[in-house]
Amino acid sequence: MPVHADQKSAAVPSFTCENLQVTLVGAAGANVILDGIDLTVARGEFVSVLGPSGSGKTTLLRVLGGLQEKSGGTVRSADAPVEGPPADVVTVFQDYSHSLLPWRSVRRNVALGIESKLTKPECAERVAEALTMVGLQESADEYPWRLSGGMQQRVQIARALAMRPSVLLMDEPFGALDAMTKASLQDQLQRVQELTGTTVVFVTHDIEEAVYLSHRVLVLEGRPAHVGLDLAIGLPSPRDQITTKESPEYLALRHRVYEAMGHGKRHA
Amino acid sequence: MRELMARRVNLLGAATIAAALLLWEAAIHVGLLTFTYLPPPSDIANGFSELLSTGELQENLWHTLSAAVSGWLMAAVIGVSAGALLGLFRPLWRYSMASVEALRALPVVAFVPIAVLLYGFTKEMEIVVACYAAVWPILLNTFAGMRGLDTRLREVGHVLGLGRAAAFWKLQLPAATPAIMVGLRLGLSISVVLTLVAEMVGNPAGLGFALVQAGQALQPEQMFAYVVVIGVSGIVLNTVLMAIARGVFRGQMAAAGDAA
Ligand SMILES: Nc1ncnc2c1ncn2[C@@H]1O[C@H](COP(=O)(O)OP(=O)(O)OP(=O)(O)O)[C@@H](O)[C@H]1O
Ligand SMILES: [Mg+2]
Repeated sequence: MPVHADQKSAAVPSFTCENLQVTLVGAAGANVILDGIDLTVARGEFVSVLGPSGSGKTTLLRVLGGLQEKSGGTVRSADAPVEGPPADVVTVFQDYSHSLLPWRSVRRNVALGIESKLTKPECAERVAEALTMVGLQESADEYPWRLSGGMQQRVQIARALAMRPSVLLMDEPFGALDAMTKASLQDQLQRVQELTGTTVVFVTHDIEEAVYLSHRVLVLEGRPAHVGLDLAIGLPSPRDQITTKESPEYLALRHRVYEAMGHGKRHA
Repeated sequence: MRELMARRVNLLGAATIAAALLLWEAAIHVGLLTFTYLPPPSDIANGFSELLSTGELQENLWHTLSAAVSGWLMAAVIGVSAGALLGLFRPLWRYSMASVEALRALPVVAFVPIAVLLYGFTKEMEIVVACYAAVWPILLNTFAGMRGLDTRLREVGHVLGLGRAAAFWKLQLPAATPAIMVGLRLGLSISVVLTLVAEMVGNPAGLGFALVQAGQALQPEQMFAYVVVIGVSGIVLNTVLMAIARGVFRGQMAAAGDAA
């Protein structure tokens, strides 16, 4: 399996945000959603973003992915300012059912981003490899709308992986899935990330998931939101759904994140 | 394809039609229906075989259908490309919207005498009329389909690095296919209707003229036989079009809930 994350110098971070501000215009007029965000994501790092609903997690991810304009500060991807989606950054959207092409088979959905850049056999090989990574070889010729939600989300992840991006931006990718599917996808993602060294920015509202998967957890806080907590997760890898989650280090980290999210004290 | 059509035959529906025909036949023989020129279905069947044996029917049918389908094909090319262009380039739509709306609002039948004046009593005239009539639903449905591309899919295209051309061929056009098909089907039936009208009031040829002629010659069996043929050929054309579409745009049609 090729390692393609550190083709560029490891010293250049995947993302740098300085004093980032984002304003969205809604029905009630312009709203500052994010303000004063300072953030560095190192190459190969797995960073989770937590925060209450409506705090601006999706907005932050869209700015990093070049899908949303900022209103102030700077955002750089590798060493270039972000203006539109950077070439080796791929976003995995939360609403998988709207993100797949219903008229293309699973195989051709996964090929969408690479089919014009590679020769046919190369492309077929990449697609097969990506489908194997997410365990979907068997469904390659099915239409996505004939698959379960978890399978559809895996198609979207495979399509992103087939691009061999150096950065994956994922917006609550496992949000709509049942606990079993979620756990198995978490482990698949963990394995793929270690294998490829891809940088991952992972938005979630599941505290356990964030601590379990990440090297670092960020919590957005306030309105407009800023980074309230920036916590390094020093758990050893590879992690395990049972033993890692039972370890005292994991429990202590989880405790700190729950506190930062404002849980615990009120219910004591 | 034959299998497909067989599955689509609705037995209960066919039984209803058969019963209605029997009732019609009986009502005339019993004397319940006494229009001078309303023939029973058996007479219509005779009229039909008469027309068939002289070869008149085949000739007229070919004339009308070839004119209607040629006009429709031209309309398909013009309508889909113009609709796609308008969908791709916003300013183009702003300039042409008023003209499109005005032309579309003009009843197409009013255009027939103009076409006769321009093209004379010819088959070209019929084709032009059929094309003109069919182009509007095709154009407008293509345009609507092109604009209706989901924002999320547009973003997927950006994220995966598709350029403008690739996004058009791989996202916009396939996403618009179901809408384009609706336009093509509407266009096909309209082009048949307008070809018939053009034959009734313009070019003296084809099914439309034969129908009028049979009426004037007081031959209701033949007249009804023509009406039946016109109805059936409309259904057949539509079925053939859908079968082709299902074959060519398998994914799109299946995704749009039109799985065969
Ligand atoms: N297109 C938009 N126009 C205007 N305001 C928007 C738009 N999209 C989101 N917002 C506002 O921006 C704020 C942040 O939205 P965002 O989707 O980033 O939140 P989130 O943290 O991802 O929430 P969730 O956990 O519910 O997904 C919300 O208050 C929302 O109302
Ligand atoms: Mg969100």
